[in-house]
Amino acid sequence: MTQPQPSATAIFYRNLRWLKFVDRFGRKGSQTLEYLGGLSELLGQAVVGCFTRPMYPTEILNQMDEIGVKSVSITGITALFTGMVLALQTAYSLEAFGGKMFIGRVVSLSLVRELGPVLTALMVGGRVGSGITAELGSMTVTEQVDALRAMAISPVRRLVVPRLIATVLMMPVLTAIADLLGILGGMGIAILELQMTAQDYLTSIWQQLQISDIGSGLAKTFFFGLEIAAIGCYNGLQVQGGAASVGRATTRTVVFASICILVSDFFLTKLFLAL
Amino acid sequence: MSHVASASEPSPAPRPRGETIVAFENVWKRYAGKDVLAGVSLKIERGEVLCILGPSGTGKSVTLRHINGLTQPDDGDVRVFGESIVGLSEEALSPTRRRVAMLFQGGALFDSMNVEQNIAFPVVEHSERPPEEVAAIVAEKLTMVGLPGIQRKMPSELSGGMRKRVALARSIALEPEIILYDEPTTGLDPISSEKIAQLIVDLNVRLQTTSVVVTHDIVTARTVADRVAFLHQGRFQFVGAFDEAARGGPPILQDYFRAMGFPCGTGAFQAAPKGE
Repeated sequence: MTQPQPSATAIFYRNLRWLKFVDRFGRKGSQTLEYLGGLSELLGQAVVGCFTRPMYPTEILNQMDEIGVKSVSITGITALFTGMVLALQTAYSLEAFGGKMFIGRVVSLSLVRELGPVLTALMVGGRVGSGITAELGSMTVTEQVDALRAMAISPVRRLVVPRLIATVLMMPVLTAIADLLGILGGMGIAILELQMTAQDYLTSIWQQLQISDIGSGLAKTFFFGLEIAAIGCYNGLQVQGGAASVGRATTRTVVFASICILVSDFFLTKLFLAL
Repeated sequence: MSHVASASEPSPAPRPRGETIVAFENVWKRYAGKDVLAGVSLKIERGEVLCILGPSGTGKSVTLRHINGLTQPDDGDVRVFGESIVGLSEEALSPTRRRVAMLFQGGALFDSMNVEQNIAFPVVEHSERPPEEVAAIVAEKLTMVGLPGIQRKMPSELSGGMRKRVALARSIALEPEIILYDEPTTGLDPISSEKIAQLIVDLNVRLQTTSVVVTHDIVTARTVADRVAFLHQGRFQFVGAFDEAARGGPPILQDYFRAMGFPCGTGAFQAAPKGE
């Protein structure tokens, strides 16, 4: 006995779920591509703006203060306590093998090559990226960005370029300070908790740490700075609507900047290891 | 109409009046599947004050933003100073934008700058004038809008009406040929609205500019307009003198006047004599 053939309507409804899924997937994909395209375009314009007139040196200095100097405390505290925790965990893990003497090496290498740059970037991404988005987003919804355009002044040159330059320049400085504070935090624990001498701790670092370790760590931060500033500015300039949109854009910046930092860190690490 | 403040410097050389300075030719603009502008055509003459009237959400501000290229049409042409500005890059639009100023609905003053820095901003950006000269320009423009001596105040310290007047001072800092006003009296009390309206007329005469005023406020239109253009359903349903509109334009315009509390054709509401 043959089964009755399902009607065209039944087939349509059976497949509707999949059609909706494909449709939603396509829309998301198209939105993502549109976002990445817009972000790349803005980044391209900003990079060109970095090397052509008009420049805004005073604004760049203001942003270096806002983005860099005012981030020292948050990145410094993060690195200090990370160094302390690293020292404690390393001592706990290696004690059975008599590995206390390696604490300085482990702490410094971990911090300088990886944790210093990444944690600093995540902290700056949270503080500065969201701040940039909120500021530019508010300017966009209150028509201040349109006012710039109406006055024949490029918002990219006036708003984006100074923030991009300041973030890119200040990231390595913040990371260097964070590395130093993290190593000092580890030394504090090594001396106070693990009864090591400062000389032993520093000697183990001196013997192990290479210039290339410091260089690769700091080099990454240029890219992180570029990502944070570009994402922060782009999301701010794309805000439409009111205060709620500014809030959503700010959250998006923190999430997207964090993901970009972590993903690009992997590829940059691969690249620098291969060099 | 009395001048709000007197300027000490001589009047600028007269600009030729009457020629077409802005022309919309069959302009279409679509947002979210809706035709906001559906084949708009309009000519604005040099030296006039044109009021674009219409209910909220009919595309008045969108029309205005086409004049300085902040918004680009989907189809049609917009000619400013005789040149098409459609499809031009931001950089290519710069020369036109320096000659066209815009007063935004909320003033759009830069929060991080004080009044002096706000007004000086376009001057510093587009010229190499020494600081003393820039300061003199700021003082002069503030006097023109009736707010002398408030250079050091921050925008957050100003009332709504003052913010708009400071924004107006910033708009005229580069001595533009066209000033675009986006809802200049919205959110203001009647006295402040009247002051702004008087300023529009005053500056139009003194600076010999062309003014395009977007408003849904008939009292403002009555005070400032040489001509009104009534925008509805994506097209100008009426373009003509205010008196003509007040005497009874098309039914939709009569409905609008009635809804705003000013019935057409009753003789109860006519254009205010300008310059009084």
